[in-house]
Amino acid sequence: MPYRIPFQSTGDEDSEDNFSSAQKKARKAKARNTMNMAILAGEIMLESGAETYRVEDTIIRLCKAIDIVNYVDVFVIPTGIFLTVGYDNNINTVLKRTKPKSVDLNKISLVNQFSRRFVTTNMTLDEAIDYLSKLRGLKPYSDFVKSVLGGGLVGGFSALLFGGSFPDFVSAFFVSLIVVKSREAVARKINIISYVKDFLGSLVAGALAILFVSLGIGASVDKIIIGSIMPMVPGLAITNATRDSISGDFLAGVSRASEAILCALSIAFGVGVAIKYYTYFNIGGM
Amino acid sequence: MYFYISQAIYSLLSTFGFAVLFNGPKNCLLKASVCGMMGWLANITAGKLMLSPTISTFIGAMTVGIMGEIFAKLFKKPATMFIIPGVIPLVPGAGMYYTMLSLITGEFSETAQLGSETVFTAFSIAIAIIISSSLNKALLRLWELKSGKKEIITKR
Repeated sequence: MPYRIPFQSTGDEDSEDNFSSAQKKARKAKARNTMNMAILAGEIMLESGAETYRVEDTIIRLCKAIDIVNYVDVFVIPTGIFLTVGYDNNINTVLKRTKPKSVDLNKISLVNQFSRRFVTTNMTLDEAIDYLSKLRGLKPYSDFVKSVLGGGLVGGFSALLFGGSFPDFVSAFFVSLIVVKSREAVARKINIISYVKDFLGSLVAGALAILFVSLGIGASVDKIIIGSIMPMVPGLAITNATRDSISGDFLAGVSRASEAILCALSIAFGVGVAIKYYTYFNIGGM
Repeated sequence: MYFYISQAIYSLLSTFGFAVLFNGPKNCLLKASVCGMMGWLANITAGKLMLSPTISTFIGAMTVGIMGEIFAKLFKKPATMFIIPGVIPLVPGAGMYYTMLSLITGEFSETAQLGSETVFTAFSIAIAIIISSSLNKALLRLWELKSGKKEIITKR
């Protein structure tokens, strides 16, 4: 592929293209809408926990599908998108700061489908923006479903997988149900940093596990705690970090890796505080 | 045999839970669970063959990765839909816990041993996923070259 110069200065900018001023206005609006649409799509994906290369790829495909665009370049890091779009004799750059939200595979899949459809059919930009903003407001599974299936099943069966017995299953089911439910509730009420949330979550998990064992419902504290911290472990962050690093995005890789390490440390410290008090008071049953 | 069947059921349901927690699309939940189940079975089989936890987790994650790529081709969804929920049961949550426990009880040599094992296990998962996805890309490229098709994957 020959080297493409992003923007060639032709000296007298306006005399170059032979469009009327109305046409020029329309093209300007179209280019801006393209950028809005692409940024919106990228933002949804990035907030839902997609890898940076996937976001970059989607944005480039979306922009290239517009006929007036003659130059696209994009740089995505886990906390922001930089997009440059060139058309006619103009070049525009947008910087969008994003905040990571919860993981949402459904949205990633839907944006993927949308980009495929947008490139192949002739969907207008307004329709696309409409569709994307509707997609952005899409609700995840309800709290109840998430805490019972996501929390309870994960906690209970992870405890069994790591060698727990039936009493452990029952108590890990309830402990992790409570932890996931309260985390969701806290996340909705106050804007708390996710690491503090992980710390408190694992602290509560540890304390409840000890309580359940001392009440005689569970059998071993270890298995219950292991089961109930599983919904919080940063598996996605570790995987994405290494993926990004290997594909050459070291900035994204390192920032994701530090996210994973901080998350793992806060979980470990939460559990650590709980066990420390447990061994201090020595309630028994360990 | 009973052991394998029970482990299969446990891992199936546990992966189903992860898929719900990560808000997977409704029609992918069960497929992702099957993916996770196969990965866990590969993991415990490798563990029975006396391989180290790092290697057996690697084999499990590799199975999840390959299954995910196949499912992605079959059901026309991104491979991540199946891989992410499927791989999480392999994440060394137990290793993290035992590392912390040994740190608190003050056995530092044990902490170093368990901690490094946990870190390497976590990395082996990521590397297995990368190997399976790049293998898929390489095979796709090979197939394109063989069938004389034009480039499908357009790289910038």
